[in-house]
Amino acid sequence: MRAQNLFLILLFSSGLFPDYKFETILSDLNDAWSFEFLSEDKIIYTEMPGKLKITDFLNGSTIDIKNVPKVQYSSQGGLSEVILDPDFSSNRTLYLSYSARNDEGKSTLYLMSAELNKDSLENNKVIFEAQAPRRVPVHIGAKIAFLEDGTILLASGDGFDHREKAQTLDNHFGKIIRINKDGTVPADNPFVNVKDALPDIYSYGHRNMQGLIVMKNGKIYEHEHGPRGGDEMNLIEPSINYGWPAITYGIDYSGAVISPFTEKDGMQQPLLHWTPSIAPSDMIFYEGNKYPELKNSFLVTALVSKDVKKVTFSESGKDIQESLFGSLNSRLRNIQASPSGLIYLLTDGPKGKLIKVLPEEL
Amino acid sequence: MKIAKYPFAVLSAALFTVMLITPISSLSNLIWLASVDMPVSLFSSLEVILFDFQRLGIVLLGVVSLGFTVAFVVAGLISRYSSLGGKYLYAVAGSAAIGLSLILMVELLFQTQLLGGNRTLIGTTLHWGAGFFGGYFFYNLISEEKNYTFIIRFLGVFYAYFILGLVLNWVFTPVSAAAEFGFSLYELNSAAQNALLRDFTSFFVATFLFSILGVITLNPVWFFSAGIIYIGAGIFNLVAIYAHGTDFNQIFVGEFVLGSWPIALGLVISYQQKKLQE
Repeated sequence: MRAQNLFLILLFSSGLFPDYKFETILSDLNDAWSFEFLSEDKIIYTEMPGKLKITDFLNGSTIDIKNVPKVQYSSQGGLSEVILDPDFSSNRTLYLSYSARNDEGKSTLYLMSAELNKDSLENNKVIFEAQAPRRVPVHIGAKIAFLEDGTILLASGDGFDHREKAQTLDNHFGKIIRINKDGTVPADNPFVNVKDALPDIYSYGHRNMQGLIVMKNGKIYEHEHGPRGGDEMNLIEPSINYGWPAITYGIDYSGAVISPFTEKDGMQQPLLHWTPSIAPSDMIFYEGNKYPELKNSFLVTALVSKDVKKVTFSESGKDIQESLFGSLNSRLRNIQASPSGLIYLLTDGPKGKLIKVLPEEL
Repeated sequence: MKIAKYPFAVLSAALFTVMLITPISSLSNLIWLASVDMPVSLFSSLEVILFDFQRLGIVLLGVVSLGFTVAFVVAGLISRYSSLGGKYLYAVAGSAAIGLSLILMVELLFQTQLLGGNRTLIGTTLHWGAGFFGGYFFYNLISEEKNYTFIIRFLGVFYAYFILGLVLNWVFTPVSAAAEFGFSLYELNSAAQNALLRDFTSFFVATFLFSILGVITLNPVWFFSAGIIYIGAGIFNLVAIYAHGTDFNQIFVGEFVLGSWPIALGLVISYQQKKLQE
């Protein structure tokens, strides 16, 4: 009877998802962290030691971009996210988040805008320096997203040793920041007129955010690493307190209790939490047509569970999850869909790979 | 017995020090939670302190034991080859061991402070102080002649310390306790949940108390009682699998270990008591 059930499960599950095949496009990437498509066959990507590169898949050429900011490549820090301006085709502007030492020699998070001119960055301008100094660059966040109105969201992590500061508004630990492209603060930010609050804060009570996306309908989704357990996916809204570390579903790495509370009035519950942790590292909302079974799903890469979680929500708000691409057995750092809708995955570490997920017809 | 008492004295001093250290992190955390208007109550405080003692404590026990071993060997050598000696030498050695361990934990583990209670000057001072008392406690243990009961008591306390984790899980977080046993509490109906919670909690609380009573009274009957319960669980686990067709559950291995441990302690006590009578 048990064997029959197993057979039925295998038969049924094999019909749910195709047997995906993969193609390694790039290898020996040195701690690559993020990438963006410049065209269907050309990407720009960061390597944490401080390299920004462009690779053309068609001829295999790689350009090392010059005039990249000096970063602090240590622990979890370095050159992190690269994102293109929504008007990149006309203004050639891109944005880089990275960790570097501030004037006092402490590590913190920076956001820079620059113009890409062939193989060099020009008009580099630091548009944001987080008031979140720490000894070493851990839990820096560093994810960037554009809102419909052209303002920028930046995730600034809690700095691990400074987790309690995620609950106060006089610093950038554990915050999502909203600024204009020139670094100024939008007048409609939620804490602009709040005494002692930094005006660029959009939401707070976060830990180490590694996924941040803005949907076509304007909704903002984020996910963040919990400690042991308590990785969260949240719907981000202005001025909301997401509770870390006063409420959490995780415990400390040492086994200690961080908080015995999982909910409180005035603190937002996550849409879902992963306990035990999967270590979510990036996220897209897939709207392409190359993989019909994945359309209109969140795809979340994970470092610990070494797979991609396909996440959808029922009408009642309950999450429905499936594990994908586990056969790669790799810590997955980043995920992007190409302009045509093909999914590419970036693996983590000093010998990273860029992998194309082949749809069934290929 | 002369030599055997030293490792158990180190482990006992380490456990004593851990008992002093873990509340530092718990209380600093609770104080912060109260400061941001979280509803910290006596119940939630007890939950945090006991969980930390068990879960954080088991990690720290390894670190502190290692630090104490090195520190007390050095203190012993100094004591032997110099005029320095006595309880304060070991107390200072214990304090230095904790201080150095805390520094190494930061430098070797991502350069971050894993111990929440050690993030402030007062917290660090309290940790060093706990090490001082741990060293003092160690000196008291080795300066007295010990018999076998010292080791029996340590192993009994350590057994109870382990069972304490199960007790806490079933008292405070039964959903995760059930998950660790491989099933979802929510899948049971209310009556089944109630039956499971009261029986399981009683099961672990009883064996915890039996082992503590065994440590205090050195009456082997308490250890045998705890052991019989777990051996019984192991046997009836196998009966459930092979006679009633439930899924295979390898937890019976742990049940036999948890049963054999106190039974072995009870047998040693019985043997030694019999020998003394003869």
